[in-house]
Amino acid sequence: MSALATYSAQFERYANALTAAERAPRSVQFSRFLDSGFPHKDLEDWRYSDLTALNERSFEPDVSASDDALPDLLLDGADTLVYVNGQVHPASTAARWHSDTCALPPPAVGIDALNAAFAAGGLRLRLDRGTRLDRPLQVLFCSRSDGQPTMSHQRHLIELGDDAEATVLLDFSGIGGERLSTHFFDIHLGRNAKLQLYRIQNEAAGGTLVTRIDARLSRDARLDGVTVDLGGGFVRHDLDLSLAESGAEATIAGLYAHARQSHIDNHVRIVHAAPHGTSRMNYRGLVDEKTKAVFNGKVVVQPGAQKTDSEQRIANVLLSRKAEVNAKPDLEIYADDVKCAHGATVGQLDAVALSYLRSRGIDHDTARAMLLRAFALQILDRIEWPALRARVETALHLPAELTLDIDA
Amino acid sequence: MLLEITNLHARVEEKEILKGLNLSIKPGEVHAIMGPNGAGKSTLSNVIAGREGYEVTDGSILFEGQDLLALDPEVRACAGIFLGFQYPVEIPGVSNMTLLKAAVNARRKHNGESEIAPNDFLTWVREQAKKVKIDPKMLSRGVNEGFSGGEKKRNEILQMLVLQPTLMILDETDSGLDIDALKIVSDGINALRGPARSTVLVTHYQRLLDYVQPDFVHVLARGRIVRSGGPELAKELEEKGYGWLEAA
Ligand SMILES: Nc1ncnc2c1ncn2[C@@H]1O[C@H](COP(=O)(O)OP(=O)(O)O)[C@@H](O)[C@H]1O
Ligand SMILES: [Mg+2]
Repeated sequence: MSALATYSAQFERYANALTAAERAPRSVQFSRFLDSGFPHKDLEDWRYSDLTALNERSFEPDVSASDDALPDLLLDGADTLVYVNGQVHPASTAARWHSDTCALPPPAVGIDALNAAFAAGGLRLRLDRGTRLDRPLQVLFCSRSDGQPTMSHQRHLIELGDDAEATVLLDFSGIGGERLSTHFFDIHLGRNAKLQLYRIQNEAAGGTLVTRIDARLSRDARLDGVTVDLGGGFVRHDLDLSLAESGAEATIAGLYAHARQSHIDNHVRIVHAAPHGTSRMNYRGLVDEKTKAVFNGKVVVQPGAQKTDSEQRIANVLLSRKAEVNAKPDLEIYADDVKCAHGATVGQLDAVALSYLRSRGIDHDTARAMLLRAFALQILDRIEWPALRARVETALHLPAELTLDIDA
Repeated sequence: MLLEITNLHARVEEKEILKGLNLSIKPGEVHAIMGPNGAGKSTLSNVIAGREGYEVTDGSILFEGQDLLALDPEVRACAGIFLGFQYPVEIPGVSNMTLLKAAVNARRKHNGESEIAPNDFLTWVREQAKKVKIDPKMLSRGVNEGFSGGEKKRNEILQMLVLQPTLMILDETDSGLDIDALKIVSDGINALRGPARSTVLVTHYQRLLDYVQPDFVHVLARGRIVRSGGPELAKELEEKGYGWLEAA
């Protein structure tokens, strides 16, 4: 069988169930996928992340809805929309934000085209002007695999009208063996809209997860994003922000940390397309030898985007000699009256600090965990949702918050 | 004997620094160790505390009769050894309170005791902080983060007061302190003096010894103790410097 043959067979089966009108645009996307295949190292954006191994794999589409018990991941105080392998789960309390259908992009290539060819609907959160979600929305994407590997592809939309506000958690969690999921998110923020967006990824070791978030910020809109990678087999996340109108503000913080056989690739791009925009990008990585981490952060200041204020900070700690990280900050400026700073560091855990803690009686492993936590703290502090923060800290195996208020 | 060092040889990065050092300390005694820069005073302090990067090539150190060199630094600390560092490190992200609590509980665990009750801990720390004039608010900050040189040294003394060690080794805790801070630090050291507790003051100057009276003064040069005496030896060194001993 030639490469991609199993995908063709799957697509044929899938397309046969569609009307002719539904089928046409998807066939275009699928043939574009066949032309390009999975992304490989020769592509600038995929230099350190190669998915060609998937060419020879075989994934069944997920069909049946699942009402299996969920892992204990639902957070108190949130509304929930739960997908298990792409299907809405009955535990959802906010199924009103689900849509069976989705809009397809213009003809794409590579994995974008694969997603578009098979794409099912998903989250569709639309808030009218001036409205506000009273409770945070947890959108849980559970991947489960036992037996035959399966795949699902979804497209999602978040649209906040002018002055609307919401807190949304995109929560990717996996159990079991091999699986492929792709998710594309379109986010539109109206004037002065505010979105607090969390993305937490804790896929299974056999999971391949490709996600992409495209967000467009209108005048004075604000996006606060926190993204945390805790697991996964192969994980690729693209975050593409456009500060399209004057006064928009984006603050993105990210942490990738963990100790399994993972490949974690974050690509973050912030485009300042209008004046008076502010952006902050702060990513931190704790990387050990079993994990390969790729980080690519790029800020583009377009002509006319005067008074842009942008800062990009990347810091990595290598936890063993064989650990590997490719971290690249990148800045392209086409305007002259701007304030832009960027920097990237790669280092080891502070041995002097470690020995100081030990000299006070604290054992090596506890001291190390305290320092790891200290390093991650800048990012953890950005999680303003206590239950979520506690979950992340537990997953990181960090010592519980010991800080006491002496004035208590 | 609380501490018994016999024929200690130690290296740092292939270079032999301590060359057959002997020192015995009984419970309740205060020993001052003086000597020129680079003599190996910090090396000795660090070797006793078990800091990494120092290789002991010969000799022995017994602490309360047990072989200290076989123990990890954290076990030595739990056994009652405290080293006040010449250059205390800043650790952003780990608060002073976190460090103190982890240290107190590590010691209790070592002694087979349960964790300290949060209220008892707070009361205890607040009491000790008052003694070294550290504003408790500073303790919510990262360890030594943004502390002045003098505050860092007082913070070392605070840790010592909180942990109540059996053997206190203070490596140039007096250097860089103004007279008020020196007084605070000395009061902290004197507060812990007692029949069961011993002190090693590593210092360059006679000044500290006006506030903390030593029982013995030793001169460390060329990797050994080259002269020992009473407090009067410190005065002599203050007048004559170290040259006459180094040459000898
Ligand atoms: N980490 C180190 N690496 C290399 N040399 C060191 C190190 N620490 C100390 N030394 C050397 O060891 C000798 C003794 O240093 P030290 O014990 O700090 O002396 P003192 O505290 O008496 O001034 C000096 O020559 C110093 O340069
Ligand atoms: Mg020294």
